[in-house]
Amino acid sequence: MNSNTLIPAMILAPFAGALVVALSRESHARAVAAFWALFTFAISLLLAWRFDWHQGGETQFPLSVEWVAAFGLNFSFGIDSISLWLILLTTFLQTLVVFATFASVTQRAKEFYFWLLILQSAMLGTFVATDAVFFYICFEFTLVPLYFLIGIFGSAQRTAAARVFFLYTFTGSMITFAGVLYVAWFNSQPEMAGLYAGAGEWSFDMQTLYLAAHHLTAAQQTWILVAMLAGFAVKLPLFPFHTWQPLTYAEAPTAGTVLLAGVMAKLGSYGMLRLAIPLAPAAALHYAPVIATLAVIGILYTALICWAQKDLKKLVAYSSISHLGFVVLGLFALNTIGVGGSVFYMVSHGLSTGALFLCIGMLHERFQTREMSQMSGLAKVMPVWAFFMVFFSLASVGLPGLNGFVGEFLTLLGAFTAEKVLGPVYAGIAGIGMILAAIYILHMVGKVVWGPLKLPRLADAPAPAAGEPAPKVADLGFREIAVLAPLAVACLALGLAPTPMLRSLEPAVDRLIAPMQEVAAADVSSPAHTTLTQARAAAQAAAPAGNVASETAQ
Amino acid sequence: MTLELETIKWIPWLPALAAVVGGVCCMRKSMRNLAAPACILSILAGFIITLGVQSKVTVDSPRVFKAFTWIHIENFAVDFSFYVDPLTIIMLTVITGVGTLVAWYASGYMKGDRGYARFFAAVSLFIFAMTILVMADNLFLLYLGWEGVGLCSYLLIGFYYNKPAAVAAAKKAFIVNRIGDLFFALGIFLTYSHFHTVSLAEVLRSAGDLNTNLHAGGQGVFDLGAAPSVVVIPFLLMLGAFGKSAQLPLYMWLPDAMEGPTPVSALIHAATMVTAGVYLIARLLPLFALSPYALPIVAAVGGATALFAATIALCQCDIKRIFAYSTISQLGYMFMGVGAVSTAGPTVSATGAIYHLFTHAFFKALLFLTAGSVMHSLAGQLDLRKMSGLSKKMPITSVLMLIGCLALAGFPFTSGFFSKDLILADVVEMGRSNSPFATLYSVLGIVGVATAFLTAFYTFRLWFRVFTGPEQYEMGSDGHGHEEEGHDAGKAGHEQAHAPKSGETASAAIAVEHHHEPHEVSFVLMNLPLIFLAIGALGAGLWESKFGWIHHGIETSSAFLGYIPKTASDAGEAHDIHFTMQLISGSIAIVGIALAAWFHWLNRPAGERVARAFSGLVKVLNNKYYVDELNDALIVRPLRTLADVLFVFDSLIIDGIVQLVGFLPRALGMSLRPSQQGELQGYGLGMAFGAAFVLIVVLWSLNLVAMH
Repeated sequence: MNSNTLIPAMILAPFAGALVVALSRESHARAVAAFWALFTFAISLLLAWRFDWHQGGETQFPLSVEWVAAFGLNFSFGIDSISLWLILLTTFLQTLVVFATFASVTQRAKEFYFWLLILQSAMLGTFVATDAVFFYICFEFTLVPLYFLIGIFGSAQRTAAARVFFLYTFTGSMITFAGVLYVAWFNSQPEMAGLYAGAGEWSFDMQTLYLAAHHLTAAQQTWILVAMLAGFAVKLPLFPFHTWQPLTYAEAPTAGTVLLAGVMAKLGSYGMLRLAIPLAPAAALHYAPVIATLAVIGILYTALICWAQKDLKKLVAYSSISHLGFVVLGLFALNTIGVGGSVFYMVSHGLSTGALFLCIGMLHERFQTREMSQMSGLAKVMPVWAFFMVFFSLASVGLPGLNGFVGEFLTLLGAFTAEKVLGPVYAGIAGIGMILAAIYILHMVGKVVWGPLKLPRLADAPAPAAGEPAPKVADLGFREIAVLAPLAVACLALGLAPTPMLRSLEPAVDRLIAPMQEVAAADVSSPAHTTLTQARAAAQAAAPAGNVASETAQ
Repeated sequence: MTLELETIKWIPWLPALAAVVGGVCCMRKSMRNLAAPACILSILAGFIITLGVQSKVTVDSPRVFKAFTWIHIENFAVDFSFYVDPLTIIMLTVITGVGTLVAWYASGYMKGDRGYARFFAAVSLFIFAMTILVMADNLFLLYLGWEGVGLCSYLLIGFYYNKPAAVAAAKKAFIVNRIGDLFFALGIFLTYSHFHTVSLAEVLRSAGDLNTNLHAGGQGVFDLGAAPSVVVIPFLLMLGAFGKSAQLPLYMWLPDAMEGPTPVSALIHAATMVTAGVYLIARLLPLFALSPYALPIVAAVGGATALFAATIALCQCDIKRIFAYSTISQLGYMFMGVGAVSTAGPTVSATGAIYHLFTHAFFKALLFLTAGSVMHSLAGQLDLRKMSGLSKKMPITSVLMLIGCLALAGFPFTSGFFSKDLILADVVEMGRSNSPFATLYSVLGIVGVATAFLTAFYTFRLWFRVFTGPEQYEMGSDGHGHEEEGHDAGKAGHEQAHAPKSGETASAAIAVEHHHEPHEVSFVLMNLPLIFLAIGALGAGLWESKFGWIHHGIETSSAFLGYIPKTASDAGEAHDIHFTMQLISGSIAIVGIALAAWFHWLNRPAGERVARAFSGLVKVLNNKYYVDELNDALIVRPLRTLADVLFVFDSLIIDGIVQLVGFLPRALGMSLRPSQQGELQGYGLGMAFGAAFVLIVVLWSLNLVAMH
């Protein structure tokens, strides 16, 4: 099999799976879905195996299928190491999610798995796209399956949640699309021709657009950055654009929440890294303190709100916003440690927060409630569940040796050492989030896992007579352990041996942030240098020749 | 017996393996008892290795053993590697030595508990983290150990998780430590951004060079030139140390930590983990010497804590809490000792602090474990007022605790006497030097002596109350301090208070009612390890003053700042100070013990009269200066209220604005198009396209402006 067809195969596999699910019998739906999820996971592993890890910064397995030639529209794919890690996260989580829902999805299973597989296709498409329009289509298309997953399979307020989610994120990303269109239009202007490869004609190829961005003035870049963030900041979500999220996460079915927090949120941060920062490099550098400030406020603000939650799922939902603040902080440190740590954190957060949502889902399946006041001391009756809950909570508070620590510390260290961009103050204040995380997570664990035993009264069960032994609660079964154990292993492995992943991310990250580091080195904050190209010329004039990379090397 | 130095790198992994074994044992009831031997043997093996390699370490310069690369991105590289110098060996001796004995004792103490395997799994994990902490070659790995021991402390304080108090105490310990850890982390970041490495070997070398440069210009002249922020590093690190070692203002968690099983209090909250802060400063002494203010502040905080905690200990009635406050106070001494070091002054190494750390580990572990024996035998009773004259019932325990008390009080020629005296002598010597902080050190010398007196008094108040006087006791109610799991939660209490524990076989197993007699605990499982500890508590000082093992070790480690040429008269003066301090502290200990004997043994009514006369003060001390209440009122509640307010703010205001912004185009659309579509996608699309259109126009016009 030609390696270059692996990517389209991987995107199409879940899509094909969805069609098969639609054609199969209701009772077979879950088995079919499991097969296709596993199959897709296998393809992604094969992709990882064929991937040249020493060239993680290069776009590998490129493939382009012409679509509308006049507008330069193509279906083009290709992955670098950043994409690949997020792809592996997606296929891995998807597989576990399908198995996790075996017991909980009892009605309309065909529809459920159909939309779940469609969602996977769309998510994978976003990560492999090297064409901005294709990226955007996939990015937007994720909304459709999620709209149905939440609207049909969610909890009590599902309709409202689905609507808010759809409208809010859709509005944001339309603005993002406008920004992309603008850069493409700018690139197509005849006077650009000859400045760099691909200039002067319509193209949505990301690499071409990156080069075009170097010729945008500071004012243009500012607007483009705003447009890009409109979509991505909502998707992530970044404070203060987060209010759709707790409702949506809480109302979505477990599978939806895991994928929302685990993968969909990363579409936002991935978009920032893939489009927002490279398409507005000087603006990203200039406004990094502003965005980082929002991130830091978000970290602390939502962490405190977590403490006030009474519903387990909402608590974890808010904590997810808090954690993703670290991702943004690291991204806008705009150095290798910060951005590399941030990408690491994206994957790591997908594992540990996804796992926490799964744990809570398993509880919900047993008790039909997520109210913390309804339960206590579950370690006594569900020791295995308690072990996983505590384990993933610790991963979530960033205990060294587990995955959360590496991402959290690297993003903080990146911000701390980002001279001229951020600095120690950002890291110091964001670090308070570590304390608040300990407060709310241990508050949750202390209420639910530890303490005197108290079980929620099931709605249909009679009140137990005084002195009667507590009703039996089933601890996790084999299938549930099989879902959580791989996540725990992954958390531990990434915590103890993050280096292979970090090293592989390094070239890809460097390639994306190279223009920024150049600008930072040239000190472009002075208004005289309006475009990156001019700044570069100024820097070259000032500095001895040779220490500034040439543009064609990009 | 000597071993290859290389074998030292196995020390952390053996307990790690034991932790895994313990974890597996948790799953099968039949395997539960396997966890204890796995734990004990793994720690013992570490102890044997430590002893085996120690002779090779003293002659060598620090050696670094790399296990594997941990975090590496760009030029930031952190390895899982171990740094071995004599200070490491001293710490390992304490951890594995006391660790073995405590685990041995615990194998008897915890018998019959439903969480037996869980307990030993956590203890093994703790030893793993603690050995990593003291062996780490870089600050990140040290931080791993640092947070790892914090985790184990959390898990073990909350071991009896049925008890809300234990859960709350565990949470408090973790969170207060996290506050210190944040500063520690920032200190690490600053160290990295300064030295471009976090490797101890390299950081210490660079800091040492900086110090040499600083002092080249003359004593106490600090000119850091282009790198002024380097002086902030010690202050950040010291806050981490204060958190872990329960110093002001981050001490509140340690007394509450006594909710954990007593062996845990002995091992983690007295002998090892809480001394990590002292170790950190001793280890990074050259870094701390970079700021002229850092070490004096450490000493001042230590002195203040020592006195503060000792006064609280005077009026507590819970045996374990008295020892907890005493631990805080003794840690204060260690900080005084480690702070009484100066490149410019007469004291150049942290020997006193590490010496006291070493002896304290023995006698405080002994005290906690004997307290555990008392508690064990009185069904969980810990209240001083509810026991008296127990020496007949528990003769071995009473003698063992007496030995611990003598050492803690600093009775002449016990281990505590020698080590405490060394700290006091160092402090006084600093007070007589030409250091700009001489006055501070003189005051600290007085504080140290006063605290020594209080220590002797409160220690023997406890011992005389428990073991002398008329034989009276009231049994406790919670089953040897064990929350019995596996039975009905509601009935847990004295009914099954006495499940078989301690290997006492039939008689104990049958005694179901709680009105049984206090009794001596099992010899082999519980008292034998205590005898080893008692030997250490009595003899460690004499042994050290003969062989100078710790002195030599420290002088070839990083806790040594370099020789200052001493004249013969200096040396003579130092000797005089030393002798005078021995005299003072020895006699003060005897006076304290004598007073305690009078008020709490020979003439108890007199003691009660004194207490009544000062009832106001007693009440304040009894309530620990109301610090917990203040903390709750000033920090915890306002923060919690803020959380609630923010939640409301988030749902009403922020979301409200979003709703409003979302509503505006919709309202506009409605007014323009009375034929309502009612489709949400329609509104969304209209709104989004509108916004996109506006943006394109803006950008386009901008572009026109730019082109002309």
